[in-house]
Amino acid sequence: MELTVNGKKLEVADGVTITALLEELKINALRVAVQLNQEIVKRERYEETSLKAGDRLEIITFMAGGSA
Amino acid sequence: MREDNAMEQSDTLKFAGREFRSRLIIGTGKYPDYRLMKRAHEASGAEIVTVALRRVNLDRTQESLLDYIDTKKYTLLPNTAGCYTAEEAIKTACLGREVGLSDMVKLEVIGDQRTLFPDNEELLKATKALVKEGFIVLPYTNDDPIMARKLEDAGAAAVMPLGAPIGSGLGIRNPYNIKIILEAARVPVIVDAGVGTASDAAIAMELGCDGVLMNTAIACAKDPVAMAEAMRHAVRAGRLAHLAGRIPKKLYASASSPLEGMIEL
Repeated sequence: MELTVNGKKLEVADGVTITALLEELKINALRVAVQLNQEIVKRERYEETSLKAGDRLEIITFMAGGSA
Repeated sequence: MREDNAMEQSDTLKFAGREFRSRLIIGTGKYPDYRLMKRAHEASGAEIVTVALRRVNLDRTQESLLDYIDTKKYTLLPNTAGCYTAEEAIKTACLGREVGLSDMVKLEVIGDQRTLFPDNEELLKATKALVKEGFIVLPYTNDDPIMARKLEDAGAAAVMPLGAPIGSGLGIRNPYNIKIILEAARVPVIVDAGVGTASDAAIAMELGCDGVLMNTAIACAKDPVAMAEAMRHAVRAGRLAHLAGRIPKKLYASASSPLEGMIEL
């Protein structure tokens, strides 16, 4: 199925969980926040949250920055 | 030296029940590379570093900023840089809390791309909403005493007036406004933005500010590590001068040597 992750189309296995998706993308779950269709998903719910075709995800982390 | 250390121990920056020995807060942006940033952080003595929130790079070719910040040593202060509405800033702050498990946010709601001046109306709205959500809100504001009072009344943990536009290096453009803000404030006042060199930081501290936040002045200096050390000393020197109490300014001279016992020549 197809997801949109950080603005990019991504083909993944059906029913994949957020935990599995992060593992596949080699992303450390402890260093990100995940927004699923505009709603923040708490870290403790990544394991139980299965994704559906067409879901839009934002995976956010800390980047270098000072102001603005 | 020992007295200086004793003073350093007790003279801390306090807000929202937290205590920091350094009054210098620095950014992580604009450094040529992360190794240099790390060394500049160490040289600055800062204990709080600001970070931005952005999408993870999916191709994983970029190094992670967090590999270069020891989170046991530094408190991360997520910002809402790049947000132009209260709604965007609130959402970004909530994402920051999820990543960092910290309730602190350097709240920025920008009004205009060219000046990067804050949008007061949206800033106040976002401050109220985030305070209600339990955030420790540190709003970046202009040097307007009325706005500072409104932010404080809204529950901001500190107010962070700009010295000059972000990244401009113009220094403290209106020290008199900062003084008026300081007179009325019951929360820490931290000058955020505008510092260009060490004397600017010292001036902010001499005025009585509780801290200084900067990024560009260090990161874009020819030698960021040396500038970071300069800023550490400037903030300390300015703070000590403030506590020591400067002499009043006078128009005419006043001799430092005794006028009695003059030699007959």
